[in-house]
Amino acid sequence: MNRRALVDEIWALALVAAGAIPGALLRWQLGDQILVANLLGCLLIGMISVAASGRPRWLLWGAIGFCGSLTTFSSWMLELNRAGLPVLASHLGGGLAALLLGQALSRRGLRVWRRVRSAAGSTR
Amino acid sequence: MTGLTSSYGAGCGAGQSFGSAVIKSWLAADSLQTAAAALLVALGAVPGAWLRFKLVNHLEPLLPRRHWGTLGVNLIACFALGLVVGLEQSCGEAARRLLLLLSTGFLGSFSTFSTFVAELQTELTARRWDQAALLLGGSLVGGLLALRSGLLLGAGP
Repeated sequence: MNRRALVDEIWALALVAAGAIPGALLRWQLGDQILVANLLGCLLIGMISVAASGRPRWLLWGAIGFCGSLTTFSSWMLELNRAGLPVLASHLGGGLAALLLGQALSRRGLRVWRRVRSAAGSTR
Repeated sequence: MTGLTSSYGAGCGAGQSFGSAVIKSWLAADSLQTAAAALLVALGAVPGAWLRFKLVNHLEPLLPRRHWGTLGVNLIACFALGLVVGLEQSCGEAARRLLLLLSTGFLGSFSTFSTFVAELQTELTARRWDQAALLLGGSLVGGLLALRSGLLLGAGP
């Protein structure tokens, strides 16, 4: 491995870790409310994937590190095993809805941002 | 200790922000234990996220689609969580708390719901119904099977 690749690798691992720690601590503080953690994670990954597309470092930190760590599949299965269908429907339906909402919010935000920037550019 | 905590709680009035009341009650309560618990969660979360990241990237060229890597990671996590929950029942109080923190940190961080939903949505919007159905069905059936076999093994004879 050459020096450049090694530095990239260390950066990637550091960014994933920097996202994973606050994500896991937030999930831990939420306790039994796995649904809240999972829906929040889906909303945020929707926003990040649109806003940071083509920016691998933001994706490493926000999507893979923070959202991946905040949300949990295994605890969802444990709850599904205990409580059945309502847990399945709320997580799956809510998760897809939150993801779509996040993407829509991000697209809208980007549009407004571009308009503001181009307006600021034209007055100069 | 609880007396101190509640007196701080009662003191949370007009001049004191909610944040500082929370911090003070933490300091008054077993702050060292809270810090140690948070440290354990964080210590589990980092290798969990790293392992998921490296495993999915490593498997990506070997699999027809990226989401099978995520599915594999999630199934391993379900099996391990079942094992931990099964083992917990035969543990003492201290060991149980340790296991809980490690499984919250490591397994919660290792498995992911957001990437699963995002990959499911990608298949749905691309109208690859067969891939979406396989991913969803595989996740649900596989996840429950992995969890139950973990529970069974962990609980022992």
